[in-house]
Parts: sequence; C-alpha cells; structure tokens
Amino acid sequence: MTQGAAAPASDRARATDWPFLGAAVAITALLIALVVLDGEPRSAALIVAGFGLGVAFLKTEFSFTASWRRFLLRGEAGGLLAALLLIALAALVIVPVAALAKGFGGAIAPLGPSLVIGAFVFGIGMQLANGCGSGTLYTAGGGSGRMLIALLGFIIGSVVGSLQLPAFLALGGIDPILASDYLGPWGGLAVTLATVAAAALVVIAVARRRGAGIAPRPPLVVGAVAIGALAIATFLAGGHPWSVTFGFTLWGAKAASLMGFDFSTAAFWQWPGPKRALADSVLTDTSSLTDLGMILGAMAAAAAGKPFARASWPPLASLAAAAIGGLLMGWGARLGFGCNIGAFVGGVASGSLHGWIWFAAALGGCAIGIRLRPRFGLSNE
Amino acid sequence: MRTVYALVLAVGLTALLADHLTSPSSGRAVSPEDFAGACAPCGAPCPSTQKKEPRRPPST
Repeated sequence: MTQGAAAPASDRARATDWPFLGAAVAITALLIALVVLDGEPRSAALIVAGFGLGVAFLKTEFSFTASWRRFLLRGEAGGLLAALLLIALAALVIVPVAALAKGFGGAIAPLGPSLVIGAFVFGIGMQLANGCGSGTLYTAGGGSGRMLIALLGFIIGSVVGSLQLPAFLALGGIDPILASDYLGPWGGLAVTLATVAAAALVVIAVARRRGAGIAPRPPLVVGAVAIGALAIATFLAGGHPWSVTFGFTLWGAKAASLMGFDFSTAAFWQWPGPKRALADSVLTDTSSLTDLGMILGAMAAAAAGKPFARASWPPLASLAAAAIGGLLMGWGARLGFGCNIGAFVGGVASGSLHGWIWFAAALGGCAIGIRLRPRFGLSNE
Repeated sequence: MRTVYALVLAVGLTALLADHLTSPSSGRAVSPEDFAGACAPCGAPCPSTQKKEPRRPPST
C-alpha cells in the first residue's frame, strides 16, 4: 500500500517540468521585487492576482470561446451560466465600491458604431484564434505555441486599432450609461444583478428549447468563483475593473517605437492615459501587470503538472487561423473598448450598458467565426 | 516548441527589464481610464467632450 501511494508521487515529480516552473516563479518574484523597490505594493498585488488568474483559468479550463461556441451550436448553457456567475460575484463589490469609494471607478465606454463594429470583429477573431483576451494569455502561458502566434497577432492588431480608433469615434456615439449614475450604488447593483439574472433565464430557456444541458460542469463553477474573487482583488488593488487588452496595445507600441515608429502624430497616443503609458515603464500599467502575472501563473501551473510545451506545432492552416484571429481580436478590442474581460465582464459587473452591447455584438461575430473555423481545419466540437 | 518558449521568455524578460530600467517608474500603477476626461479603459474621451472641442482651422 505504501509503495502504491509513493508511486504516483514520484510520477508527479517526474512530470514536473522544473526548468519552466522555476523560470515562471523566478521571473514572477523578480517582477514583484522591481515594483516593491519602486514602493508599489499594490502593483505587486496585481502581479500576484494575475498569477492566480493564470492558475485558475488553466486548472479549471475556464473558456469563454468554447462556451459561446457550444451555446450557439448546440444551446449548451453551462459555460455561459458560469460566466454570468463570475460577473454577478464581481458586481457585488464593483458596483457599490466604484460608486461610493474615492479612487475607484467602474469600466465604462461610449456607446456607438465603434463599440458595435469592434465587438463584432472581436467575436469573429476569438473563434478563429480559439481564445479571447484571457484565453490567449493563459493558453500561450500554458505552453500552446499556436496561441503564441495568436498573441503576436493580437498585439499587432491592437496597435493598428489604436491608430484607427479616433476615426471610428468620429462616426458618433453617446456617453456611457452607468446604472449607479441613475439609481445610486444599491439601486445600480440591484439592476445589474437583475440584468444578469434575466440573461441567465434567457440562456436557460434557449437550452431547454434545444434540449441541451444547463448545469455547468463542477470545475467551471469552481473557476467562476475563483476568477470572480480574483477579479475583485484586481479591482481593489488597481482601482478599476480587471482589463487585459490595453497591455497588448502598449507592448506593441513600445516595440514599434523601438523599431523607429513615431506615435507623436497619432491621436490615440496623445490622449493623457496612453501618452503616459507609452513614456513610462511597462510595470506602471495595471493591465500589463495582471497580464504578465497571468502568463507566468499559467506557465507555472502547466509546468507543475506535466512536461511544458512538448506538443508538436499544429498544421499551417491552424496557425494561420490563430494569426488572423489574433489580428482581428486586437483590432476589435481597441475599437470595442476591450475583450471578454475588460468590456463584457468588467462592463456588466460595473453596471455599464456597453457591456451588454459588447456581448450581443461579439456573440454575432462568434456566429460568423464558427462558420469560418472549418475552412482552417478547426473542429467545432 | 520548448526552444521557442525559452527564446520568447529570454527576449521578453530582457525587453521588459530594459524598458523598466530606462523609463520613469515612480508613482502608482495606473490605467488610461484613471486620467481626467477618459471615457473608456483605453483612455478614449467621451463623445460629449469631443463635440465641445473647438474645430481646428483647416491647414493651409
């Protein structure tokens, strides 16, 4: 019996990829040390929260992309319901704290053509890439070379999107609509939770009509609770809801600057926030901190359980889908003010109407993306 | 694929350290939405603000 208990432990030890696990932990510790040396414990908290998000996403295989695809194709409700649970949990803290506490704010965005076009294109891209903003981070971090290609496309697309966003904003739009602005913190929270519940009821009704499963798999529920808690931690440490994609835009712009590209005439990069971000250290940008933590957390979790990145490269068509999907997501995220995290989770959990508009438009884009997947040899299972 | 990952890690870490050591990093971490007039996570201005901005004279 003793031998039987010892064997799995030694198997696990052999399965652990110490070089990559060690590298992920050491780099995380180095980043934390750098921000602590700058006297920024809240930045360290963002890196740690990002690390936890990477572990939670990878271990529970929490996926927006597959959930939305299963819902659209077969009416399966479990994944979408888990995402709505995550949003409801985050809203419990974000709506009242953003409305009541100084130094905190919700995720808001203007309503107009840019939001709808961007979210729709993002939806196409997420099905081609087979991952959204958070999905790209944790699968690339977790050892998928294909998603490294998607991440590169995402970064390039978001820089292009940043150059074109001002022109799309000029098409018109209205200011953000935030529930707590009209109903106060508690009324805003009640309406936010009611809209999430109404969406859940619609999803359940669709699943029942199509004879599909409703209950989320237990790991998804665990993932929703863990990711919801970490999203709250990110909000409390950063002062605003967790966002992903601005970090990609910033990394791309910094790389382009290094290669000689001049952003001084680009309207986007003259707005106060992006201008400061481009000039300052990448470790002073909140989304970069959580993004880096998430990549390293997923890498540590993947390397702890099995040899890291041992799979062979997928066929060229699949890599092309990853690259195109990444480009579309990057461009769409800039025009649509974020991804599933910054726009959908953050927006809805803040009680902002743009979150629901983003969701509807991105779901429409997903329907197109799902039709395109077989052309690249991608399964719709 | 492991070699590619090792290279990406090395290049990424080098770029990150170089950026951090050569750029200002004092002050708390911020997001573009923390700045006055920002209307979105990327720092885009509100439509109402844009409408109030005076139009630039045509360049000659």
